[in-house]
Amino acid sequence: MMRNFFLVIFFLILSIYSFGEIVYQFEDSAQEKRFYTLISEIRCPKCTSGSIASSDAPVSRDLKNKVYELIITGSSDDEIKKYVSDRFGNFSDYRPAFEGANYILWFAPFIFFFLMIVIFLYKQRF
Amino acid sequence: MNNFFRFLIILLPIIIFAFFGKVLLIDEDTKFSSFNTKNFPLFELNDLNGSPVKYESLNGIKLVNVWASWCITCLVEHPFLTKLSSSNIQIVGLNYKDSADKANIWLQKNGNPYVFSIYDPRGDLAFDLGVTGAPESYLIINNQVLASIQGEMTQKKWETIFLPLIQKASKSS
Repeated sequence: MMRNFFLVIFFLILSIYSFGEIVYQFEDSAQEKRFYTLISEIRCPKCTSGSIASSDAPVSRDLKNKVYELIITGSSDDEIKKYVSDRFGNFSDYRPAFEGANYILWFAPFIFFFLMIVIFLYKQRF
Repeated sequence: MNNFFRFLIILLPIIIFAFFGKVLLIDEDTKFSSFNTKNFPLFELNDLNGSPVKYESLNGIKLVNVWASWCITCLVEHPFLTKLSSSNIQIVGLNYKDSADKANIWLQKNGNPYVFSIYDPRGDLAFDLGVTGAPESYLIINNQVLASIQGEMTQKKWETIFLPLIQKASKSS
């Protein structure tokens, strides 16, 4: 009875490892750091909002493997981001590029803030 | 001037309310997501019978449909694809992360609306194409990927997203 109990405990402890993530091996810590920064900046194409780092969707797993592969083969961060956005669109980048319609995205908060101050000052005078 | 601000205080929430209402009520089915036109990626893959697929076989107007035997929604959209294929639309299957045996059995069981199916067990071509999962459909006109539909293909999505592009293409040619 006691033996079975310990066996159950043993397998329960073991079961944690079956949920383990894939371990990526890097040549140095700089590569590793780049990898984890990149996967937190690439949006999961299958999720409403989340990076591929936080997602275990099959496509995110593929993307992580690809990012790993590209880092190991010596691609730069920009090259990797371009590689991904060429395939999955601009949507994939959590930091929108500084161009075109994205200007609205970048400047809208400042414009609203500025407007608020103007309205506030304007109102103060009356 | 005071009146103007009073007016603004009433008007502003209405505008904001209308704006968010509009955003929330946008029909996801017909929303045309901004899609960057690109060339259909090069590939070296076989079809489900084991013979190599030529890149030129994607010339003309083709609907590329990503499917797999493990994909449940693919079964849901299958009748619609069958209907499309019988109305002169050429559908090319992209068999995604599947085994050829299971895929062939699936086609035998449910009918085959595809001109042929590209067998992509590792999802290499699918990755280059930007597939996020099955089912997913792409409109290819002269090897250019023009639009995509993620998830189930429906009559409504077909009519609002793909059909206008096909009509435009056939008019200009």
